[in-house]
Amino acid sequence: MEDNQEEVLEIFTQDGVLITTAPATYIHYLNNVGTLLIVEYPNSNLTRCIEWKPLDLTIDSDVQDQEWTVVSTVERRRTYSGSLPVDVNRSKHLKINMNDIKSFRVSHKNQKLTFRDGKGDNVCSFIFQHGNCDGLIAVLKGILKTIVSRRDKHVYCILDDIKNPERQQLDKSFAELNLFQEQSSAYVWKFVKNFPNRPYEATMEAFSKITDIVYRGPEHRLMDSEVHNILHRSLEAIENNTTTHSHDEYELIAHVPRLPALKEYPRGRPLSFEQWKALQDSEGQVEDVEAVKLVIFRGGISSNVRKEVWKYLLDYYRWKCSHAEQQNLIKQRNEEYFIMKLQWRSMTKIQEDNFTDYRERKSLIEKDVNRTDRTLDYFAGDNNPNLQVLYDILMTYAMYNFDLGYVQGMSDLLSPILYLMNNEVEAFWCFVGFMNKVSSNFDMDQAGMKEQLQHLHTLTAFYDPEFANYLYKHDSANMFFCFRWLLVWFKRELSQQDVMRLWEVLWTDLPCQNFHLLICVAILDTEKNILMENNYGFTEILKHINDLSGNIDISTVISKAEGMYNQIVDAEHLTDAVRLIIGLPILGNTSIVDSKEASPDISDLTTNGDTDEVSYENALTHSFL
Amino acid sequence: MATRKKVLLKVIILGDSGVGKTSLMNQYVNKKFSNQYKATIGADFLTKEVIVDDRIVTLQIWDTAGQERFQSLGVAFYRGADCCVLVFDVTAPNTFKSLDSWRDEFLIQASPREPTDFPFVLLGNKVDLEPRAISTKRAQQWCLSKNNIPYFETSAKEALNVEQAFQSIARNALTQQSQSVDLYNEFPDQIKLTNTTNRNSNGDSCAC
Repeated sequence: MEDNQEEVLEIFTQDGVLITTAPATYIHYLNNVGTLLIVEYPNSNLTRCIEWKPLDLTIDSDVQDQEWTVVSTVERRRTYSGSLPVDVNRSKHLKINMNDIKSFRVSHKNQKLTFRDGKGDNVCSFIFQHGNCDGLIAVLKGILKTIVSRRDKHVYCILDDIKNPERQQLDKSFAELNLFQEQSSAYVWKFVKNFPNRPYEATMEAFSKITDIVYRGPEHRLMDSEVHNILHRSLEAIENNTTTHSHDEYELIAHVPRLPALKEYPRGRPLSFEQWKALQDSEGQVEDVEAVKLVIFRGGISSNVRKEVWKYLLDYYRWKCSHAEQQNLIKQRNEEYFIMKLQWRSMTKIQEDNFTDYRERKSLIEKDVNRTDRTLDYFAGDNNPNLQVLYDILMTYAMYNFDLGYVQGMSDLLSPILYLMNNEVEAFWCFVGFMNKVSSNFDMDQAGMKEQLQHLHTLTAFYDPEFANYLYKHDSANMFFCFRWLLVWFKRELSQQDVMRLWEVLWTDLPCQNFHLLICVAILDTEKNILMENNYGFTEILKHINDLSGNIDISTVISKAEGMYNQIVDAEHLTDAVRLIIGLPILGNTSIVDSKEASPDISDLTTNGDTDEVSYENALTHSFL
Repeated sequence: MATRKKVLLKVIILGDSGVGKTSLMNQYVNKKFSNQYKATIGADFLTKEVIVDDRIVTLQIWDTAGQERFQSLGVAFYRGADCCVLVFDVTAPNTFKSLDSWRDEFLIQASPREPTDFPFVLLGNKVDLEPRAISTKRAQQWCLSKNNIPYFETSAKEALNVEQAFQSIARNALTQQSQSVDLYNEFPDQIKLTNTTNRNSNGDSCAC
């Protein structure tokens, strides 16, 4: 065989395929029956093409076409492994580069398949006269990253393959395992391709590689002992947790890792005045901060001591300061506050006229102050002086943190603090402490919110893959319906009293960082049956979640979230992605795809002027999955 | 014409913070006004059944947050919109100036198939308040420059012109949807696979 001979790898062939739409060059083929192929040219940068050749080409063919005919009939059985020289008649085939195809639509009871380009125009359509196109779709799903369109469930959008982080990750993890002597990427993808049509053989073949190592031991092949252990553990887990689904010709063996059982964690009693005093020494210093936090995490804070303890939780007071030092600090903070307040109060009319940014912030604060918790007695009625205090604190905060300024949602976070403190300076500094914890929620580019939505998705997918899969299939994997929960920490969902109970628990950072995400997972877990039984899509899920406002029993949710936390931490298959979110040390030995790394800048969502459906799906999927 | 499917029209209300988006939606759907509506966080929607030209349609009216930085999330909510309602406050000139960027941003994020023909409706809200900063003429001129967008002056507080405005919104949305249905409806319901010779007659034969 000549060296420069181009190799062709046929991934799929099917005959009896009628072509009904084709690019102009191939118009003479229209309404002819022929063979449809998906081929790969390994030598030209792994280009994949959709090809179609008319039936009559084989009939009036020369010797090389005979070769074609022979191969075609055989490779229906050995489709994926076939690698053969290019047929000279290949040049006559209708040939469309797979990279130009951005979506495909299935219609007419799966007998018609239409490929479309990035503009949504039909490139070519085929009608499958023998059977249907299910086999082809299975193959396409195997070699391309596809998702079902939101607009039309018969349309599969092809996600961009450029970076293909999954493939990179897959390659990397297999390379690290060093299981395969041959080039691992090719092997893995061969498996992926084979799986839909020959699941039993493909799986057995793949597993034989692993058992080869595990059961024959190191004398046959050198192996890192750590890898050895992982494989042994995995195999044990598979033995314990396999489910077998019988199918007509084969058995599908799926490994379903299970979480430990959900245990009950009843809420404790709130931190009492007596307890609080007992935990302070004669100088007022708190020795065992963790003990205080633990009591607060378990049961919250009694209302008669809440005001004082919040000042510690929100870093206005220092846990390890004596009364004298504390007083000194308070004095300093007091002065600092009024300096900043004076800065905006002394702004002249001309200064204001020349400062658009300031005017905009001021106007936004005015608008929001007038509509923050006006149904609460504390802020009710016209000319309520507390509204003025709310306004002054937010204006001063905009001077304290110029970069952030004022963002909607901040007045919601301040309201309960001001209500409890009932003191402008104290409320300001406590608000600063709270903002230090959640300021990324208010990023200009919303990166903080997007990251949290993504983390929430990761946690949901780990805790309940079935539900995560449901959300994915119903266009809701972006978790946007939890946006309000996360932005203002359930302020809009709970009563003033309940939100205070929740916040003080969350401020302890117990049992882990990002416990508020577990609160979300707990509520979603309670609601998921309703969502799934009603087959809710994105719109209905959003409505249902928004309508939960006022109907959440926060004590139950907190204790459930604690139970779920313990399930997750005790899970044997705990991944680094999850460890990272809940603040556990990374082990670095699990092959997880941290989707964050794969996310392009969010500007993809906003700057792409001619976004079509496909690129939208791409951007959204990359950004939030 | 006799048997028609239920029609759902998706309408997005956009405009600066505090121009009255939530109030307009609630006035229209619930016939209520309150000056205690909180600033909208994320997005929410209300639905209402209306009759447009003897057809029963369900309007799904989406209310979104007005602050600029929350715009990047709009893409999830704008998709599939049939009409976009732009709102400004007739007493606040800045809210009028922002209209261009709201319109552009919507077109970018929703990316409708025919951006030039996509229906917008402009509402100048709070006409019950003084002093007036944007005259009717100025607003109409803007509408004229944008492919003749329909314009209504409303007061969500006094329920002034709200009903009429949403009737127009519904009608525009309906036109948009029936056009896009024609566009998407490229595959006929039935096809006889045995009859391969007359394939050209079904209209989807060639993309060139």
